[in-house]
Amino acid sequence: MSSPTEPPGYAAAAATPLIVPTGRRARLTRALGSSGAAYVFLFPWLAGFLILTAGPALYSLYLSFTDYDLINPPRWAGMDNYMRIATNDPKFQDSVRVTLTFVLLSVPLKLAVALGVAMLLNRGLRGLTIYRAIFYLPSLLGTSVAIAVLWRQLFAGDGLINNLLLGIGIQGPSWISSPDTALYTLVILAIWQFGSPMIIFLAGLRQIPVDIYEAARMDGASKARQFWRITLPMLTPVVFFNAVVQTIDAFKAFTSAFIISGGTGGPINSTLFYTLYLYQEAFGYFRMGYASALAWILLIIIALFTAFSFLSARYWVHYDD
Amino acid sequence: MTRFGTGRYAALASVAATALLAGPAIGQDGGDLRMLWWGSQPRADRTFEVIDMYEEANPDVSIQGETVGWSDYWTRLATQVAGRNAPDVMQQDYRYMFEYAGRGALLDMMPYRDEILTLPGVSEESLESGMSDGKLWGVSLGVNSVAMMVNETIFEEAGVPLPENGATWEEIKQLAIEVAEKSDRIDYGVEDSSLYENSFQNWLRQRGKDLYTAEGELAFEESDVVEWYEFWADMRESGAAPPADVQALDQRSIETHMVSLGNVAMGFAHSNQLVGFSAINEDEIVMRVFPLVEGSTNEGHYFKPSQLLSVAASTEFPEVSVDFVNYFITDTEAGKVLDVERGVPISDEVRDAIRSELDEDGLAQLEYIEALDPYAGPLPPPPPQGAGEIDQMMARVGQEVAFGQLTPEEGAARLVSQAESILSR
Repeated sequence: MSSPTEPPGYAAAAATPLIVPTGRRARLTRALGSSGAAYVFLFPWLAGFLILTAGPALYSLYLSFTDYDLINPPRWAGMDNYMRIATNDPKFQDSVRVTLTFVLLSVPLKLAVALGVAMLLNRGLRGLTIYRAIFYLPSLLGTSVAIAVLWRQLFAGDGLINNLLLGIGIQGPSWISSPDTALYTLVILAIWQFGSPMIIFLAGLRQIPVDIYEAARMDGASKARQFWRITLPMLTPVVFFNAVVQTIDAFKAFTSAFIISGGTGGPINSTLFYTLYLYQEAFGYFRMGYASALAWILLIIIALFTAFSFLSARYWVHYDD
Repeated sequence: MTRFGTGRYAALASVAATALLAGPAIGQDGGDLRMLWWGSQPRADRTFEVIDMYEEANPDVSIQGETVGWSDYWTRLATQVAGRNAPDVMQQDYRYMFEYAGRGALLDMMPYRDEILTLPGVSEESLESGMSDGKLWGVSLGVNSVAMMVNETIFEEAGVPLPENGATWEEIKQLAIEVAEKSDRIDYGVEDSSLYENSFQNWLRQRGKDLYTAEGELAFEESDVVEWYEFWADMRESGAAPPADVQALDQRSIETHMVSLGNVAMGFAHSNQLVGFSAINEDEIVMRVFPLVEGSTNEGHYFKPSQLLSVAASTEFPEVSVDFVNYFITDTEAGKVLDVERGVPISDEVRDAIRSELDEDGLAQLEYIEALDPYAGPLPPPPPQGAGEIDQMMARVGQEVAFGQLTPEEGAARLVSQAESILSR
């Protein structure tokens, strides 16, 4: 077998094709082709992907065409689940409306805040790393249960926010328990977690050559003009990346609504995120088949949004080189 | 075979073997059971103690206890059952138990009734709550009923007389307005219970109706719902009950209950929850029966199993599991540990044994149940599949009415049509 003096089979096969190598390793190389080594190294990830992601995903695709109550075996139901979602499910419509509102509000606002803070931090502050860490902190904490509980306290009828408002003579409503405002408290919570897009913006800002700004200043361009004509266009690839990632994240938001509404999506479905509705169907009412169909529709919605982003990118994203 | 010599494989294998041996002890002779329940820390402490006592009396049996909160419980149980990994003994809720039984997940305990499940001191009637079609799916862990929780301290501070058993809704309304006016700690007197199925059911039963028929259909009319919503609209407008955005803070737990949040002096809950209310509230909390409607049948209340103990159909150890259920419910020593935390025990013998050891709240609960008969009617039929979903839907529609998005008539129409749609599914 392979002794220390024998050259590695893969290298030998590539370098001297005329000499047919023998031995187990060489046979393995022939069997796998020239990219065999890559597959071997990919194997741990591939195995995880196939067993933990692709397998369950395909199974859920199958379940989405069945009635499955978690206890009895799934019964084939054809297109019934999808038909019901499309024609006879007001809660589905509510949850789509709530989720779209959340995505369309929270993503642009979050990106704007992230970019603003990134520009502030990009001025060569002393102790930048500390500020960066502080601003990043909410992103680490924000999806936790504890913060959602805290949010409930902040925005309750007699919470901190209303006490502050009372100081300037305004009696605020109970923000989290009023159907008109509950969703916006969740939007604010999402915006507050601007840390990770901020870090990426900061890196992007560092990439913009300083001499462009110098030239603009010499030509007398104002700060605002520099931002609109230089910073933003140069940053569009980063904006694009952040927008896609944050949109997908926003569609999948769950914890904050689950905790703040006590799992109901209330008051009156005003915080019924799509994922929360899906969870209720699956584990509240034991309709795993229906929930699987909902999950696949969410996947399609996210895919459409992402595809739209990529298609529109050619009109506004500048890759200048 | 040079890189990985046989020696290494051998070493690896022996490590693996050691790990297996060091794992949890496998297979006691008598049985290796798991028990799952929901509840608070005090309940967990009591339950684990009883498990230890049983294991001591039956050294060949080992029981592993698992506990989670109510909101995670049904997720946990459903996934375990789906994964063919159901707990042998599980706590069940009256509403969900028949759904699980209907899906074939529970063991019929009737065949064990003569030999193992002897249940001394338990009357046949008190088993009915766990039965359908002559099959016994669960045994009640304790009796409770809905109850009005009254903050005695607020009433006394305000100098307003406490409500009495047998007071009408109209009297409670006046009392609520009065106590809210005279107390500087609360703005409203009584919680808005228009959203809650339990209160609606009590009100319906006093009018000779109910939520569901034995056939699993709605046992009330749309006009009943209209009256119900109009009644509560009047309660809110008169200042007796809080507005919708205050009431919506309630997440249907003791901690977020309007009484515990200090917004009102009277609210609605279950009698076994008095223990929890007393633990959370510094004020003195006492219980009263639900207010009466005009011309009440006096059958609004019923004796309800607070929880039931069921055995999984898939258990490998049905005899041991059923024996443990028997022990848990009828052993007097176990009863002393369990107290009335899960409601008043159904066994007379256990009840007599623990009476002298109960604290003030425990005794209040026992006396409440014992004095409830004049206001209680027969047990309603088991709720149909989908009852849990209807309960949540009712809360949502009730909120839409309370927030003024729907009129009582529109709300009633929506409630009935959605309930029928859920039942037909």
